[in-house]
Amino acid sequence: MSMVPKHLNPGVCESDHYGRILKYDHNGRSFGLHLSKRPVGVRQVSMLSELKIGQTAVLVALELPESVQNHLMHMGFVPDALVTALRRAPAGDPTVFAIDGMEIALRHETAEAIRIRPATPDDLIPHFESVQDEVPELIEVMR
Amino acid sequence: MNACCETPAFVPPAPRPSSGPLKTVALIGPPNSGKSTLFNRLTGLRQKVANYPGVTVEQRMGVMAGVGRDDLTLIDLPGIYSLTPYSEDARVSIDVLKGKMPGTPKPDAVILVLDSLHLTRQLMLAAPVLEVGLPTLVLLNMTDLMEQRGGHIDSLKLARELGAPVAQISATHGTGIDAVPLFLHQQTNRNAPTPLALPVMGNAASTHSWAAQVSRKTGYQAPLSVEGTRKIDNILLHPIWGPLLFLVVVVGVFEVVFSIGQPLSDGFGDILARMGEFVRPLLPAGWLQSLVLDGAWKGISSVLVFLPQILLLFLFIGVLEDTGYLARAALIADRVMRTTGLNGKAFIPLLSAYACAVPAIMATRTIENKRDRMATILVTPFMTCSARLPVYMLLIAAFIPNIMYLHGFLGLRTIVMLGLYLAGFIGAMTTAWLLKSSILKSSETPFILELPQYRMPTLRSLGMRLMDRANVFLRQAGTVILSVTLALWVLAHLPVVHVGGNAYAAPELADSVIGRLGHFIEPAIAPLGFNWKIGIGLLSSVLAREVMVSTMGTLYGADPATQAMHLQTALHHDMTLGGALALMIFFAFAMQCTSTMAVVRRETNSWKWPAIQFLYMLFLAWGAAFVVNHAVMAIFG
Repeated sequence: MSMVPKHLNPGVCESDHYGRILKYDHNGRSFGLHLSKRPVGVRQVSMLSELKIGQTAVLVALELPESVQNHLMHMGFVPDALVTALRRAPAGDPTVFAIDGMEIALRHETAEAIRIRPATPDDLIPHFESVQDEVPELIEVMR
Repeated sequence: MNACCETPAFVPPAPRPSSGPLKTVALIGPPNSGKSTLFNRLTGLRQKVANYPGVTVEQRMGVMAGVGRDDLTLIDLPGIYSLTPYSEDARVSIDVLKGKMPGTPKPDAVILVLDSLHLTRQLMLAAPVLEVGLPTLVLLNMTDLMEQRGGHIDSLKLARELGAPVAQISATHGTGIDAVPLFLHQQTNRNAPTPLALPVMGNAASTHSWAAQVSRKTGYQAPLSVEGTRKIDNILLHPIWGPLLFLVVVVGVFEVVFSIGQPLSDGFGDILARMGEFVRPLLPAGWLQSLVLDGAWKGISSVLVFLPQILLLFLFIGVLEDTGYLARAALIADRVMRTTGLNGKAFIPLLSAYACAVPAIMATRTIENKRDRMATILVTPFMTCSARLPVYMLLIAAFIPNIMYLHGFLGLRTIVMLGLYLAGFIGAMTTAWLLKSSILKSSETPFILELPQYRMPTLRSLGMRLMDRANVFLRQAGTVILSVTLALWVLAHLPVVHVGGNAYAAPELADSVIGRLGHFIEPAIAPLGFNWKIGIGLLSSVLAREVMVSTMGTLYGADPATQAMHLQTALHHDMTLGGALALMIFFAFAMQCTSTMAVVRRETNSWKWPAIQFLYMLFLAWGAAFVVNHAVMAIFG
């Protein structure tokens, strides 16, 4: 946590700022600036329903019927997206999640079928696919 | 990417050069993109609302008078996230775009509206829409807001990426709309649409990656999320303040409907009655006068009087919806609603139903899950609507003694009234639970609720909404009311009696067709403690519940407005306490409202559901009235 710059606090979904929170790492390569390999925010979580309020994680897969999955994906729940648990409804359920610059409420039973992994600092910095033209620029910015 | 995420690819038709001049334009966009506001702006008020054949999706068309193109028809497609044919809305949209929807002309061009605040996600709809191959204009809505919040987009670059013209607009303020007539003009003078070279879209994830790529290449910077929204939510969704404020809102709706709406409706009713009396001398006395005034006008007025209340309710709900609070209300109510199997989105329709079931059933459109929506529609008529009040008030005044408890704070009459409200509520919840655990059990669609950012509603959009709802209400319910009223009038005036010479007169009510019907059903209602006159009242109140009062008034030879005391006395003589209480509970459960039946038929697109609903509620009402009548007789002798 300490390695992450303050403005990249996992409690705030960075997608709001950059509009591009996804890392399309289809070749298994990542272009992040490796600050740390330590998990940030979330440690041993596997399902979205277990994400604590204020924590951010990376979405891995949706284990839901196809039509539901399709709907959720069009609302931003795509693999590799950063998702933050924002707040619970006053009665404790549903939970509001911030994803892709939007706030979406899901019931526990739906969140239970969405697999997540801990967010690493890599995930919290915007990434680019085929970034040949942008890598030097990005490194410049980060400096 | 795991295999579960693979969805069947949507195969678009090959682009066809449009032949002939431009006639029809389709408007498409995701939910919350400001599409309806734009539609209203482009068409003015010249709209036609109907249902697509065979489905419950609303079809909205208008002439593009708002941009001076009266010769063009604009079709408003349902708000959708994708063209993947999972939902009925998306299937309808695909059919319309391909020109396969019977009764809907094939569009020659498409206007695609996207919310620039969340452009990356919204672009996911652009891919499949552009692939259809029709000439398309992309409008980025709410760009004023986006720029205010530090967002940016290069629309020229985006146009190059998409191979389609792109314009930045604000549908709310009307800026940038000029791009629409310009685009239409270009399309009229050009025959072949620009060929498009887009990557083939497979599943949602790949479409998303394409959209993210496009938005990156075009220098899109999403605006900063408004911290204000989260700060407001800290209060409105607070574990303690949230539910309390929610209750304030609920009570507020009641207050508006009863304290402001009721006098307005009463005043409006007086005006309508006076209008009838004003016309009376202009018509020759006789059957025509009676048909027009006592039949048609009275029936239509009995529905029109609810218009002020309904508009007020829609204004209230419109403000809540446009500001974004409605989504929060659904979030708070979800926990309670789910115990019955419904979800939070059913809360607002059920709340509106305390005023009138007709707008409430129209408000169920916000529930995406068809089964949940159906269940909500089916239980809505149980909620104690304002049309039951005149009946309750008459019977309570006639039969319930004015005893006060708790030093005058709580009257027996109030307790009975609250009991009737409670009976309706329990009826609704139990039915919802029964439906959701049997025929309308939904396994597939979960509760997914988008919480939009708070916004200031505009007078223009609220006004448009009211006009729209008033239109639908008057046209749909009005036609049915008119025909049933006329039928009832005819039944009450047949067979004509020969009174000598050439003179004919209407029969005595007891001898008329409806009077005989009253006698005919008497054996069925006698166990409930009702006589044949009540039977006629029940038959005529199938039209609308409050008709009961005026029918009773006619039957007992007393005008309900001026001589209410006489009617009460007459009823007191004619009915037992058990019968009166049974009648109240009958009204709490029975679906006596043709407007509701008409609107259920419209929303479900079949007579099956209103028929099932009517019979079920009749059965329940009869059973409950039977029990009440016998219980009261046993207790009070």
